[in-house]
Amino acid sequence: MAYYIVIPFFALLLVVLQRTLLDLVFGGRIGIEVSLILVVWAGFHLDMLRGGVLAFVLGFLLDCLSGTILGLTTFVYVVIFVLSSLLSPRIYGERMLFIMAYVFLCALLEGLFLFAVYWFVYDTDVSDSLLRTTLPQALVAGVLSPAVFTLFNRLGVDVYAGEAR
Amino acid sequence: MFKKYLAVIVAFILIAVSLVILSQSLRRPGSPGIMKKLVFEVTAPLEQGIHAGVDSVGGAWRRYLFLVGLEQENRELRKKIAALQSEVNYYREMSLEGTRLKKILALEDSTVYPTIAARVVGNEGSSPFRTILINRGTRDGVKDGLPVISPDGVVGRVIETSWNYAKILLVTDYNSNIDALVQGSRAQGILQGGGHRLSRLKYVQRTEEVKVGEAVVTSGLGGMFPKGLMLGTVARADKKDPGLFQTIEVVPSVDFSKIEEVLVLQTEKE
Repeated sequence: MAYYIVIPFFALLLVVLQRTLLDLVFGGRIGIEVSLILVVWAGFHLDMLRGGVLAFVLGFLLDCLSGTILGLTTFVYVVIFVLSSLLSPRIYGERMLFIMAYVFLCALLEGLFLFAVYWFVYDTDVSDSLLRTTLPQALVAGVLSPAVFTLFNRLGVDVYAGEAR
Repeated sequence: MFKKYLAVIVAFILIAVSLVILSQSLRRPGSPGIMKKLVFEVTAPLEQGIHAGVDSVGGAWRRYLFLVGLEQENRELRKKIAALQSEVNYYREMSLEGTRLKKILALEDSTVYPTIAARVVGNEGSSPFRTILINRGTRDGVKDGLPVISPDGVVGRVIETSWNYAKILLVTDYNSNIDALVQGSRAQGILQGGGHRLSRLKYVQRTEEVKVGEAVVTSGLGGMFPKGLMLGTVARADKKDPGLFQTIEVVPSVDFSKIEEVLVLQTEKE
């Protein structure tokens, strides 16, 4: 139960840090989407309820803070989490190259979904943003994902240990 | 049974809820909703605090970079100043040389003899012999014995020549003896160089009234120096020593340590 109480605060803190400190790493030009890596990690390591809630909360908070379309990131994050969860029994998700490639693809998927929504709903072409922002952002997320995975592995063990006590 | 399908149900619910939120948002864009407002209210102070911290660190970093840049700029400006200073010195030197050459030209115009302008290329200040080297020699018409003058007065006479250079014995050398007279009293004598000390005007009768500050000029006797060229001024004149003559010390009118250009007077007739 403690997990569900802690998770909104943890998610809030992560999102705020992502929007402030991590945003400074590339001078505000390319964001580091640690939240997406966390969603993927959750897909491989947490059960559907815990991970699903985490993905939902993270997506919702991001939507509230930076998105113009409420629910867009929430939906994408939940989809990515469910996909990762479905894949996790079939694939060994600790190989570095796989993690990098998978996170890269997930980040691209997020960008493509955004592109599709704008294209079909608003009749607006945001392919320029796809190339300039999404692609480098996906690359950065892919490159950083093994390190973030290691960090979350440790944190995850601590959380479980805390719950067990 | 329920546990078996829990994952599917949860996934379905989450996707459905997020789709509902998305569709509501697409249908009514711009309506913030209470949850969004709440999130704003909670995160805004947090973000503000982090931004303030980041800004202060960033400010310090920018100030540091600015100081580093400033130091670099300072170094470059110092280099520039040194280069400009050197340029200014060069122009100042040129200006001074121009002034000196003007004086030399004026002197050249004022003399009745043909002159050869020369530049001092060597000055043996530390030697017991008081001589200088000039960059004119026999090719330019310089001969032994010719008088050498500057705008301030007599410099000396030529004692050795080569094709392109000549050595001048200064009036301050011990071996320099020039027929001279005190301009005011018209007392005649021979001005002998005193080396690093003052020159002495010898053989002036005790009966002559010589005053300190009077000008000493060439007398024209002996035929080497034309009459009336400035030699110096009387610094001391006393009759305390026994004998026929009085002791007169003369300060040379030319500052030999600063002499740079001279005129060789061609007093000899072709």
